[in-house]
Amino acid sequence: MNLSTDPWVWIGAVLTLAIFSFLYKENPFYRFAEHLYVGIANGYAITFYWHRILVPSLVRPVSQGEKLWLIAVAVIGILYLTRFIPKLSWLVRIPIAIVLGYSCGAYIPRALDAQIIQQLRATIITRASFAGVWTGVWAIIIFLGVIATVSYFFFSAERRGALKPVSYAGIIFIMVGFGASFGYTVMARISLFIGRLQFLLGDWLGLIR
Amino acid sequence: MGFWNRLQSIDRRWVYLVIWLVVALPLIFPFRIRPVASPPVEKLFNYIDTMPEDKALVLSVDFTPDTQAELFPMLIALLRHGFAHGHRIGVLSMQVQGLGLAEEALAQVAREFNQRARTREDSVIVGEDYVFWGWTTPEVTVMLGMGERITNVFPVDYYGAKTQDLPLMKHLKNYDDVGLLVSIAGSSIPLSWINYAQTQFGVRLGCGITAVSAADFYPYLNSGQFTGMLSGMKGAAEYEELLDSRLRERGPEWTLRRKGTEAMSSQTTAHLAIIAFIILGNVAFFVSRARRKP
Repeated sequence: MNLSTDPWVWIGAVLTLAIFSFLYKENPFYRFAEHLYVGIANGYAITFYWHRILVPSLVRPVSQGEKLWLIAVAVIGILYLTRFIPKLSWLVRIPIAIVLGYSCGAYIPRALDAQIIQQLRATIITRASFAGVWTGVWAIIIFLGVIATVSYFFFSAERRGALKPVSYAGIIFIMVGFGASFGYTVMARISLFIGRLQFLLGDWLGLIR
Repeated sequence: MGFWNRLQSIDRRWVYLVIWLVVALPLIFPFRIRPVASPPVEKLFNYIDTMPEDKALVLSVDFTPDTQAELFPMLIALLRHGFAHGHRIGVLSMQVQGLGLAEEALAQVAREFNQRARTREDSVIVGEDYVFWGWTTPEVTVMLGMGERITNVFPVDYYGAKTQDLPLMKHLKNYDDVGLLVSIAGSSIPLSWINYAQTQFGVRLGCGITAVSAADFYPYLNSGQFTGMLSGMKGAAEYEELLDSRLRERGPEWTLRRKGTEAMSSQTTAHLAIIAFIILGNVAFFVSRARRKP
């Protein structure tokens, strides 16, 4: 055992144990660590925004008499704060509308291509899909899975006739998907726990080489 | 109350205790597990390995400390691979809290290389071999702006130097000079890279993601929108395994610490314990139900 002498490691270890104490039951140590984390994360982000974004991109050029049009942009941005003044709160719609309009314009055409057209293209079976035996098998499974799953979410007709077995097959594909997601989730949570234990047992207690 | 009934109403804290033990003990008394690289990991590794040397590797550190355990080993492995191969490396972050992690990873890997360097070619120097652009917002502007001129998006780097004065930036103007951009993320940011950087500029992408989101990203791997993918700590361990043999070709001093691989013994025992819990829980449920029936 080679206990750390670094005070930052000790602070990290004590806060980690405070968070883990929730596993036993809710307690003031857990709440303290949780609130401290939220406060520090927000404080860090706000300070960073100020020093890395607002000062170099707005305050400095405007104070030097350059890019004065930025004042108008800053005023529009400040309108977000009118939410806190009931009589003026309607003004918040202006920056929201600008951001929404810009974001939709930038996002929708590209997302349509990236997330619908490209995905549809990947579902279509072509001669190239059978370059190898297994690639062909997987291509057919993906094709059938997409058809069956979409059929399950087809609510405009009653599930009768051919639609019934196909939509049931869709449920199977969905359940397999849920199972895969759950397996990955377990793996992820365990990984995060391992990361903390590597810190506690290694960096703090020195039990891991 | 019978054994099976008691098992169903067991205090969950006993389960936590078992998980603590099965995770902690293999870390203290490890046993070797050799990860076998899956095709998505292999594809990413092979692409970086064969990427033209005049093309840069860009790593977007899009995660925060809450997912550090899974994603930090990936970042380390990718940096080691990029530097070992002599690629120019650009690092940025789409998350403010990711900046400290990126800085730590760069400092660690640069130190590893510079301590072992015998010639200038072996060493890595900021501004010449790698650049840390830092962070700016909003992500749409960054992703689209980098396609035109990176120095316009990041006029100064993380350390405050003017990017247009950095020697590396003469060869790294926009996405045309990028061979591969890997987004290491604990959120959906890799999809934004697809939407904006790939759809608009055709930049080749890879991703390193948390295991939780792996199932959501597989369709983009299947469609070829991602060249390769590392999912969770296991993905990091697989990449470390591939890289290890490559680094060892440089000499015995290149046996570096591999945090992802070290975790695999704990990961295995924890998974076995959880599988046992699931089986036991189901058996207890069905046995109890069968006994309740008259």
